Amino acid sequence: MRTLSQIPDNAAQQSATKTAAVIKLSIGLSGVVFLLMMIFGLIMRAAQAGWVDLDNALFYQLLTAHGAGMVGTATFSGAAIMWYFLARHVALNATVYIAFLGLFLLGVVLVLGSIFIGGFGGAWNFLFPLPALSGGIWEVGAAVAFCLGYISIGVGFLLYYLEVGYKIARAYGGLLGGLGWRFVWHGDVSRAPPPTVIAAASVTIFNSIGIIFGAIVLVATIVNLLFPEFAIDALMAKNAILFFGHVFINASIYMAVTAVYEVIPEYTGKPWKVSRVFVIAWAVVVIFVQGVYFHHLLQDVNMPKWSMVVGQVMSYGSSVVLIAVTVYSTAVYLKGAAIKWDLSLRLLVLGVIGWGVGTIPAFIDGMVAVNKIMHNTMWVPGHFHTYLLLGEVAMAFGFAAWLVRGRAIRETSALDRFAFGAYVAGGGGFVLMFLWSGASSIPRRWAVHYAQWQLQSQLATVFATVVVLATALLVAGYLRGLLRRGTEQ
Amino acid sequence: MSRAGAYTLTAVVVAATGLYAATDGLRALTAEAARRVQIQETRPAVPPFVVEGLQGRRHALRPDSNQVVMVEFIYTTCPTICQTAGGDFAALRDRAVDRGLPVRMLSVSFDPAADGLSELRDYADRHGADGDVWSVARLRPADLQDALRFFRVKAVPDGWGGYQHNAAVLLIDPDGLLVAAYDTGDFDRILAHVEQLS
Amino acid sequence: MNTVLLSTLCFGAALVLQPMARLDPVAHMLLQYPVLGVSGYLLGLKMPTAPDLRGPLLVLGITCVGFWMLPRSLDAALDSPGMHLAKLVTLPLLAGLPLGMSVPRVGAVLRGFLKAQSLSMLGVLSFLYSHAPIRICNSYLIEDQQRLGAGFLWLAGGLSLLWAVPLFLGHSLMPDLLLQRKKHHDLC
Ligand code: HEM
Repeated sequence: MRTLSQIPDNAAQQSATKTAAVIKLSIGLSGVVFLLMMIFGLIMRAAQAGWVDLDNALFYQLLTAHGAGMVGTATFSGAAIMWYFLARHVALNATVYIAFLGLFLLGVVLVLGSIFIGGFGGAWNFLFPLPALSGGIWEVGAAVAFCLGYISIGVGFLLYYLEVGYKIARAYGGLLGGLGWRFVWHGDVSRAPPPTVIAAASVTIFNSIGIIFGAIVLVATIVNLLFPEFAIDALMAKNAILFFGHVFINASIYMAVTAVYEVIPEYTGKPWKVSRVFVIAWAVVVIFVQGVYFHHLLQDVNMPKWSMVVGQVMSYGSSVVLIAVTVYSTAVYLKGAAIKWDLSLRLLVLGVIGWGVGTIPAFIDGMVAVNKIMHNTMWVPGHFHTYLLLGEVAMAFGFAAWLVRGRAIRETSALDRFAFGAYVAGGGGFVLMFLWSGASSIPRRWAVHYAQWQLQSQLATVFATVVVLATALLVAGYLRGLLRRGTEQ
Repeated sequence: MSRAGAYTLTAVVVAATGLYAATDGLRALTAEAARRVQIQETRPAVPPFVVEGLQGRRHALRPDSNQVVMVEFIYTTCPTICQTAGGDFAALRDRAVDRGLPVRMLSVSFDPAADGLSELRDYADRHGADGDVWSVARLRPADLQDALRFFRVKAVPDGWGGYQHNAAVLLIDPDGLLVAAYDTGDFDRILAHVEQLS
Repeated sequence: MNTVLLSTLCFGAALVLQPMARLDPVAHMLLQYPVLGVSGYLLGLKMPTAPDLRGPLLVLGITCVGFWMLPRSLDAALDSPGMHLAKLVTLPLLAGLPLGMSVPRVGAVLRGFLKAQSLSMLGVLSFLYSHAPIRICNSYLIEDQQRLGAGFLWLAGGLSLLWAVPLFLGHSLMPDLLLQRKKHHDLC
């Protein structure tokens, strides 16, 4: 086994400082982009509320930017968190992270350029043949730039996962060793890899596969845009895109959760233990997150409705064991311990809860509305805003607060308490409004809402304003913390 | 930048330029697309091919005067694409006549061995090619290879006695230059081009 | 000595395959192309290379492969004797050889990236060839084109197994031969 301790101390020290610096930068960038994208979301919701007058084309540009920006940033911040903690267990090469960062930013520039200069509004998951059918609103060039931006981001992530995968494989005897699967059957589980390594090995496997499929559709889409005689099979493209998009956004939270594994022990004084159930839970994630989609990718006939239902339930179901384990362990670790609840811990625990609660609507969707599964109401954004806004993003801000916390754990300041409370209340209200809208069959992705739909949108706008303010406080607190720590050193 | 980086970057630029050129400026990935791009760019003069029509009539492929000739290559027993092409040609004829465009249209068989005069007659009747604006004819065996090479028509035996071939509407301008090739159903662009030529 | 012999054999096999390649795109792209490439790749493995030149060689090799993957190049190789000759010369010497000189010697992450990228490209090709409503090559029948699309998918599946298994099992369980363990100081 090769760990940090085997590298000459000096080099390890240097590498660790470099890593810490780029991770802090990444988290700062993520915070600012989250805030900006939330403001886009607020504008959209206000438009649906009938309070601001938004040109339709602009609404769809904002929707595309918000979707792509949020998914990208969520996964990006998750990646930063995982890299930071994985570097505690294996020697990662910071140069790869810097290349990842550069490619990611290049991709962001291309995507934003295609949206706000080229006018692209085909939504973040660019479902075929939307990119080619602009109705004259955007040029082929804009759609191509959008796809190239995604490819750049994908290439960045691929490099990231290759480095992670190779290092884990080398240190733990293959990726299989990193997954710890052999401890499922026998062996002393206390000798299994640490939780962060298991998480990283798992995400590396399924997200690399997702990215390879994503690259296939993206390149095929570009070929089709430039050479329309090369038609794309729409059903197949849709499957590949859904597979890729779904896996990619899921990866965000699976990476961010490493912060829970690594930070919470600092508060409880007990390390996060790997149990047999823990290993199984991650194995379930790896297998089912993608297993669900494979048979769709290979068949060309029209997909029966049941396959979509099964797919949906299974893919959310894949996370249930893991969520249960994580929520349960968090509760057990925190219970009874004399704990100082600072901002970081509050946000991390909120993230765990939001993640858990966020899957409930998905289940209801799968079970109750079986025959209306494709009905595309606001229920769907309701579900994923719960586990993203109150899950992944909360974990990311929790990690941010921890990064600038200082060595001693202090009680939460009044300002922080206020920011946290506003985030929870505003976020909770905001997602409830989505769910209420969905339950009233209000469709998603409509720029203009009928008068009888507007009440929910109006209330949501108020809640969203609160979230935006809370987020602004969190981001400001982080940046202030960075400056303070910078001058301390 | 390091030396290796500079070399690599140079190589990438050279490679990209090369691939750009090899696809006619990202316009053609297939031989068929390349044929169309190159016809438009080189506008070769059509050699004085003569084809055999119904009732022993002969048609020159080159236009008479102030006339645009539209040619498509077919074989009459073709069950699929040539029948579509025949239907498209009929529609094209009707539109061209409506607009009063000075065109002559020829469906030319590239399989003179199998397409006798009676087969040509059948094909003409089936699609309403009355010989007025639109005639059906076949290549003479002596011209066959030259004509196929000049127009870059490629017919691959399909193992069932027929062929798969690259169907297109070819435009010959009043000066006898081959100026364009279009999909057989691309009426608007074909007619616009004819209008502009005449 | 061994290598040269093997390389010659591959080249000979490519010549023998020519009549098949004319009739069947699968034989052309998935048999003849690869053996031509391998015949050069084997030679490249033995050639000394300055580290500075690995990048450009890699780019050259990839570009040459890319060029011959264009459907129009496939047609041209059958239609024009000049292009036929060019194929026989360049696939070994401008694709296989430079790849053999560079790929095994670049960093592990970059090599993994190239593998992942070639899997995606095979997927794209499979997508396009099996689902294009048009004939992509004038020289081949549409049914054969669809078979070629399926062939790309099989190849992608095979290669992903070949490449993923060692990574999964690690060197504790795999023979050293299959694992190229290297420091990747020369990455990026
Ligand atoms: C204050 C916070 C936020 C507000 C006000 C907001 C608002 C919105 C609105 C109004 C929509 C369009 C709903 C529709 O009509 O279909 C939307 C969609 C979306 N949001 Fe948010 N959002 C917020 C936070 C987030 C976060 C934190 C994420 C992810 C990390 C996120 C990801 C998405 C995605 C992926 C879509 C779907 C886009 C599409 O349908 O193409 N949002 N959001």
